[in-house]
Amino acid sequence: MSWRDEKLVVDWRKVAKAPGGEEIYELFIGPQHPASGHMRFIVRLEGDIIVDVEPDIGYVHRTMEKLAEGREYIKNIPLFERATIIDSNNITLGYVRALEKLLDVEPPPRARYLRTILSEINRIQSHLYGIGIAGIMLNHSTVFMWAFGDREIWMQLAEELTGARLTHTYSIPGGVRRDLPDGFEERFEKAARYMLRRLEDYGKIFLYNPMIRSRYEGVGVLKKHEAERLGAVGPNLRASGVRYDARLLGDYGAYSELEFEVPVQEEGDSFARMVQRVEEIKVSIEIIRQALKKMPDGPILAEKYLKLLPPKLRERVLKTGRVKFPAIFANLRPPPGETVARVEMARGEVFYHIVSDGSPKPYRVRIVTPSFRNLVLLRLLPREHRFMDLLAIYGSLDYFPPESDR
Amino acid sequence: MWELIDVIIRLLLSPPVFAPLIYPGLVTVLIILVSLIWLGRKIAAKVQLRYGPYYIAKRLGGAPQLIADAIRFMFQEVIVPRTADKIPYLLAPALAMTLGLVPVVFIPVAPGFAGIVTSYSLPLALALSSLLPITVILMAWSANNKFTIQGGVREAFMVIAYEIPLFVAALSMGLAYGTLSLEEIVEKQVLVPGAVLNPLAAFVFYVSMLMSAGKLPFDIVEGEQEIVAGPFTEYSGILYGLVMGASYAQLYVLSMIFTEVFLAGWHPFIGSLGALYLPLGGLALFVKAYLVLAFSVFLRSVYGRYRLDYALRIGWERLFPLSVLALFLSLGLRVVGVV
Amino acid sequence: MGEKANVLIDSLVKELASLAEKVERAREDLVVVEVSPDKLVQIASLLRDRGFDHVASVEGIDRPKEEVIEVVYQAESYDENLRGVIIELKTKVPRDKPELDTLIDVWPNAFYMERETWDLVGVVFRGHPELKRLLMPPDWEGHPLRKDFVVKEEGIFVELEG
Repeated sequence: MSWRDEKLVVDWRKVAKAPGGEEIYELFIGPQHPASGHMRFIVRLEGDIIVDVEPDIGYVHRTMEKLAEGREYIKNIPLFERATIIDSNNITLGYVRALEKLLDVEPPPRARYLRTILSEINRIQSHLYGIGIAGIMLNHSTVFMWAFGDREIWMQLAEELTGARLTHTYSIPGGVRRDLPDGFEERFEKAARYMLRRLEDYGKIFLYNPMIRSRYEGVGVLKKHEAERLGAVGPNLRASGVRYDARLLGDYGAYSELEFEVPVQEEGDSFARMVQRVEEIKVSIEIIRQALKKMPDGPILAEKYLKLLPPKLRERVLKTGRVKFPAIFANLRPPPGETVARVEMARGEVFYHIVSDGSPKPYRVRIVTPSFRNLVLLRLLPREHRFMDLLAIYGSLDYFPPESDR
Repeated sequence: MWELIDVIIRLLLSPPVFAPLIYPGLVTVLIILVSLIWLGRKIAAKVQLRYGPYYIAKRLGGAPQLIADAIRFMFQEVIVPRTADKIPYLLAPALAMTLGLVPVVFIPVAPGFAGIVTSYSLPLALALSSLLPITVILMAWSANNKFTIQGGVREAFMVIAYEIPLFVAALSMGLAYGTLSLEEIVEKQVLVPGAVLNPLAAFVFYVSMLMSAGKLPFDIVEGEQEIVAGPFTEYSGILYGLVMGASYAQLYVLSMIFTEVFLAGWHPFIGSLGALYLPLGGLALFVKAYLVLAFSVFLRSVYGRYRLDYALRIGWERLFPLSVLALFLSLGLRVVGVV
Repeated sequence: MGEKANVLIDSLVKELASLAEKVERAREDLVVVEVSPDKLVQIASLLRDRGFDHVASVEGIDRPKEEVIEVVYQAESYDENLRGVIIELKTKVPRDKPELDTLIDVWPNAFYMERETWDLVGVVFRGHPELKRLLMPPDWEGHPLRKDFVVKEEGIFVELEG
């Protein structure tokens, strides 16, 4: 479609003019509400039809960009991890990649595969969270309990790999922190078989339940060129027919060496978004299988940093697979410059821009999280729908307020 | 002195006092509230791979949970918002519970044993049970809160959806059996229960019953995720306990009617127990009604919540034509002479 | 990156060289374009016509030493040939009067990002219909991401007895 003759996808001046008057009923679905998350919706209703939704965010703003300017580079990794704690490897991986480009260091192949495995485990876990929350928004408590119970398996796998259930802090500039433990492959196979069986159950009780379908089908339709123009990311984008995934760009992890097919749905309604998440879980399980099979041997930290460790420590690191940081990490001084990195989180593409001026603390770090990019969808999609569709759309978009507010 | 006690016991055991007070009245409703909510939570927990009520009396599986909840409600502070309309606000929950329980005086539990014996018990019981939504709307309006008003409006919509199919389905059975007295309807089902005779009416009545009591998938009125407990948002303490109990009381009354009209009431009648004291012979009625209640409460683990206009559409586009069809089916059965 | 993409990027760089102050292909997938504020809308429209239909981030970098605030728009595309390429559109506005024309007509998804930039850095986007606080509380004063922003500290008063 040529941009020259497109009808304006959204006329912001008309949208921003909040309607008022006798018939408008204004409801504050505020932060103290059973299902609003950490944000407020200012909903304007005319009868049962939503005329305007204004998302009011900023309740969990933790000033991460400002804090990052006051800390050394290596200390920012746990800082940014807390933005999306359920997806922690993906969000720190973006920062670490940008930092690696600045420092001009490449992780060894084994580290890249390990990062991929943890990224995919986080993706599965985050999608289960999204499915559970979408279920409870429709008061379907069974899928909520099941999804959160099944997350436990993946958190235990992640704990074996990294030592922590959620706050992994696994990727460091130059590699990863820990090596694969013994027996991981068998436990993963068990988990994978269990998860695929459970996804069938989810389908029967939730996704293909005619009652749930009636709530999701045709609700909150996002057309393909609207999705591209509004910059939607993640499963919301792929459910509208755009086959875009930052993993396909091939500049992080081992994705360029693995064969996988990014699923895409065509309809763009809430049902397609839910189906998209389930399909992505299946694809992630495939990716981990391949990565475990093709895992190369070798060190897990880049040579440039390994040789900075004293020889005895180096031997221990290579033998036990637990990395000790070299002293330079406390005082990393990347050369002045700027870099940009993009990583595909579970909810979409996260974008980092680091500006360095040669000092141990960054001059400016810019992070744009996927939920912040999907905020426009929350503003525009529920219009002209019924009031009860607001939560159906909110659940299907998988909007995560702490990630959006940073 | 013994004569006085004799008189009192005879008074207590007489139908006009026993029925509204003990069975199927107040005491039974309390027993059902305490056990059914616990059962519902345990069933939902079993489906959802967790324990449910657990800590109170671990060996009994947390059974006294509801008694603990009731004690908690007694001691909780009753908060009355400053801008609420005080008298309706305080009266409406008590009114809801009362109106929810009034229909039990007409429901017979054994041949000849009812609070008020009348030959129009079916329409009277149903008509009295339809008074409950008025108190809910009163609650919603008096709390003076945007969310409660939304809930009240939803209640009004839902009443429009389910009331007519409920009545037409029940009355179609009355048509089939040629009588409007619950006692005679039960007596005519010795061989074939009503659900087998007219399954359409049974289905329509059951779904309308779920809509009326606000059980999933139709818990739109107290839609927790959108309007924060709907009309009941501002209530706390004993008033909250009363309103929560009122919806279960409504479910109980309607399932008693359902059991008597469609599931052959108190048959098989246990003669030996009946000779001892008449209502004891009708134990099967209680058991069957309890099973119907347990199934209705189980449905919460399978379904989510319907959208309001879908519920209305179901009421008018599906249930109403089905109930009219049930009416014609009953007519046909009567004409053919099956009944 | 495919051959087609390379050709497109090269032609884009040549086209922009005449309009912008400085165009540089910093890396294979990153093109940095520095423009003056009055040519911003024109170059942004040009980029949009070439297929970069949405923006990945809008940020404001406070540079007190040079007395400017640098506003950076990073445009990207979902198109098969152009994915992976980021066009950085940089412009500098004076620090004591940071005003810029809004780009929400060119790139609709810059709506919330421009609002956030105003909120945190203080750049006023002329023509933006809803420039109010997004992440800060509605009655906040000051722009936190500026280098000279000082957090107001409140004292804690303790009364000792006896």
